[in-house]
Amino acid sequence: MDIRLLRPSDIPLIQHANLENLPENYFLKYYLYHALSWPQLSFVAVDVSRPPKTPYDYPKIVGYVLAKMEEEPADGVQHGHITSLSVMRTHRRLGIAEKLMRQSQLAMVETFGAHYVSLHVRVSNKAAIHLYRDTLGFKTEKTESKYYADGEDAYCMKLDLGFIREQLREEADAENDGADDEDAAAAGR
Amino acid sequence: MPQTLSTREANLFRTVIRYYEDKQYKRGLKAAEQILKRNPKHGDTMSMKALILNAQGKTEEAFALAKEALTIDMKSYICWHVYGILYRTNKNFDEAIKAYKFALKLEPDSHQIQRDLAVLQIQMRDYQGYIQSRLAMLKARPQLRQNWTALAIAYHLDGNLRQAENILTTYEKSVTTTPLRTDFENSEALLYKNTIIAEMGDIERALEHLETDCKNCLDRLAVMELRARYLAQLGRKQEAAKAYRALLDRNPEHPEYYKGLINSLGIPAVAEAAQKAVYDEVPGDFFRSTAKEYLTLMFDKGVPSTFANVKHLYSDASKKDILPALAREYLEELRGGSVARDQANGDSSKGEGAALYFLAQHYDYYLSRDLARAMEYVEKAIELDPKSVDFHMTRARIFKHQGEIARAAEAMDHARSLDTKDRYINSKAAKYQLRNNENEKALATMGLFTRAETVGGPLADLVDMQCVWFLTEDGEAWQRRGNLGLALKRYHTVFNIFDTWQEDQFDFHSFSLRKGQIRAYIDLIRWEDRLREHPFYFRAALNAVNLYLSMHDKPQNGTNGVEAGQANGEDAAERKKAAKKAKKEAQKAEREAAEKAAKQDPNKAGAQKGKDGEEAKKKDEDPNGVKLAATTDPLGDAMKFLWPLLQFSPRNIEGQFAGFEVFVRRKKYLLALRCLKAAVAIDRGHTRVLEQAARLRKVLDGAMDSLAPKVKGVIETELAEVPGA
Amino acid sequence: TTGDVEDEVQPTAKSAEDRKAAAALSKLDAHGDDETAPAREVDQEAVKNAMSALGDGAVKKEVKKAVKVDAADVNLLVDELELPKAKATELLKAHDGDAVKAMRAYLQPDF
Repeated sequence: MDIRLLRPSDIPLIQHANLENLPENYFLKYYLYHALSWPQLSFVAVDVSRPPKTPYDYPKIVGYVLAKMEEEPADGVQHGHITSLSVMRTHRRLGIAEKLMRQSQLAMVETFGAHYVSLHVRVSNKAAIHLYRDTLGFKTEKTESKYYADGEDAYCMKLDLGFIREQLREEADAENDGADDEDAAAAGR
Repeated sequence: MPQTLSTREANLFRTVIRYYEDKQYKRGLKAAEQILKRNPKHGDTMSMKALILNAQGKTEEAFALAKEALTIDMKSYICWHVYGILYRTNKNFDEAIKAYKFALKLEPDSHQIQRDLAVLQIQMRDYQGYIQSRLAMLKARPQLRQNWTALAIAYHLDGNLRQAENILTTYEKSVTTTPLRTDFENSEALLYKNTIIAEMGDIERALEHLETDCKNCLDRLAVMELRARYLAQLGRKQEAAKAYRALLDRNPEHPEYYKGLINSLGIPAVAEAAQKAVYDEVPGDFFRSTAKEYLTLMFDKGVPSTFANVKHLYSDASKKDILPALAREYLEELRGGSVARDQANGDSSKGEGAALYFLAQHYDYYLSRDLARAMEYVEKAIELDPKSVDFHMTRARIFKHQGEIARAAEAMDHARSLDTKDRYINSKAAKYQLRNNENEKALATMGLFTRAETVGGPLADLVDMQCVWFLTEDGEAWQRRGNLGLALKRYHTVFNIFDTWQEDQFDFHSFSLRKGQIRAYIDLIRWEDRLREHPFYFRAALNAVNLYLSMHDKPQNGTNGVEAGQANGEDAAERKKAAKKAKKEAQKAEREAAEKAAKQDPNKAGAQKGKDGEEAKKKDEDPNGVKLAATTDPLGDAMKFLWPLLQFSPRNIEGQFAGFEVFVRRKKYLLALRCLKAAVAIDRGHTRVLEQAARLRKVLDGAMDSLAPKVKGVIETELAEVPGA
Repeated sequence: TTGDVEDEVQPTAKSAEDRKAAAALSKLDAHGDDETAPAREVDQEAVKNAMSALGDGAVKKEVKKAVKVDAADVNLLVDELELPKAKATELLKAHDGDAVKAMRAYLQPDF
């Protein structure tokens, strides 16, 4: 499996994966809007097992996370939002969705200073809820009634990204310490 | 003479513009009419009215009015600008550019016209024109960073990297305040400049620039990746290895980082097997024990995608043998009771079921295929867990590989019935129904997940949502059933979707500058330039070309092509039935469309249409492709599909073969020869190359005298080099 | 009357999900944003100097050889290779106006 940043050229097959897996579909342009507004936040999982059949084969996308920053956050707090996440049925339960999410969350903090990330999930989608709540630590904020076109409700979930900010701070500190040590060593010579 | 407006009317004219911009077309029209009542020859108002009419989908009326406005007021930049916008929205970009240029001549300071022109120029990849426009825009507003960036982009895309870098540097130098660390536009502009330096091949300088100017850039992953790459390119192996290790810490699932690490560790590139071993982290004998541990864990947990996760190892023959052996071992241990496991209790997809399922997939996989055994294993698994969607799905696939299309479709539909909330299995069921030529049933299956409220039903929704795979498979099934009209219709729809995708970049020419995400924008432009190399395009287009070829060879005498073909018994009956049905469907669709049009306010097209939403959806005059199939020039029609195939996928031999067939029938012998030569370059020994070469020689023997002498000369020399000719 | 304009209220999408997508896409082509974009302080003098250094952006076109092209050859290429007239002329010029050379060059695989 290859997990990497989304590229514009991946989009037709991301759209394909979305159409195959989920009832919420979007025009290609909506994917472009994500890829060109926050290119750091969306990731794909690529099946690397099949040899290309023609020189023009595109990498087969078996999972993706399409993410964004909220443009005008109602609460005034910079935060990310997961627009769409899916993994092909043939590749489920391998931890792909989790890995995609973690890459995206890290970039949200690093690049855009996100404080938290939010998402919507169908109240009936047990597997997804398990991933968000139990694996990733999301909390349910509220229920949005009839959020989906077919009338199903959505849980609005949130994850505080403070732990990533903390982690980045520690890394930066460690680096600075290292640099200080080097400076000290240089000075002491 | 153009009329002048009173103050009150001039104010009203401004509201017309505002209404138009707010998409309040009825109000806008009303206000325009009010002005025109007193000033029927006011060109600008006429133009604005035309613009609104155009937005409402009344294209012809709009053009007529805009032309009239121009004849009245040739000196009005508004009239010319509107004329350009009309052309633009109707996708005649060349004419639009001309009109904008006229408008700009009359009103050189109009920022809006200049911008509209610039956007069209980059859309058309007129780099020289774009450079001129961006330069003018920069001169008008040099305080805006995006104007500098835009000019740099113009030079960059035109291939003038040095000038692109200069422009960016000039701006940096002219800024007097230090940018904030969180200034995203600044951060991205620095990285953009860095990639330009690297593109020039000056890696040393790129690295230096990265480590100083870009040190604090907000796109941390990009900085890390670029740094690792530059270090590797410069042969600074130890540092590169360290950089790749840091990347692997961050994301251990990206094989390129492993490759980078391995190369910097100095493991010889020739030892590819060793590389693979490191990449798979299971060298030599160690593989067996690691794999055993892994499979045991996955089987115990009942992870259905286990096989999908290890099949990439099958390119290694020994691993291909070890893995199924381990699965069998697991089963024996279970049966022998040598290992006690309670995980499987109550869930038969775990333990034994999972191992059986693994073996079924193993024998179904193309590198280790034994379909009879695959079927045996999957049926045993199903016995254990008759409700498993995955087991039944694999059973269907095995049928498909056995060539049992009908049973495959049935089995997949059964799998679907076991989990009706999962769209994946639903899509697969529909796909298998299409393979079994059950178009109507497949559409009904798809309809379980499409939007119930979409006018026009599931098909309209799938077209709206650009569901290329369904349209292609549906077309292929219609083609097999002999309904050429519907087949062509689907292929044309796919063609149009690619047009839309190409046009989708339009808004980003200015949007990306506002957002400041320049590298992503450059990626987009370069991808759009080769958009139609996509296999999605290739497949539908090749189908269309081949279908047009067969239509040429066997001219149709009935509508929809369904009455042609061999008239042997059942086949003919089936075709007749299909023809009748298609006719009925066409009538029904027409009725529905008429009803829909009657009910619909032109301002109220689907909201999810985005910016085009306000434009009334044009009525489909040929929903069943009857007109497409009735063409008298199938080879001419094939050309629109064929040119992009040859241009964007020249190394795909199937496209060259199809091109040869079309050109040879159209007696374009030079072009046929060009395809043939391309095919030779791809695969000289291909039987079809030899066959086509012999055929071309034969055709030409009879036609040489009718050719222009220069053409004849070219063919004689060039054909001599083709094997078999 | 203005009653008939009531129905011009922007159509609403069926679900919240759709509304988000529609809103985002409708803003893509928003004009005028760049007019209000915050401009950082720039040194006007430096900019002016830089601008004058840029010149008019006209790229010095490489002086093209004056190649005479036979109209009949252009037509031959347009017809046989189905090229647009401009492309056909360009191709001929690139081969010194020699139609045979031009056609032969065009036949070679370019990948």
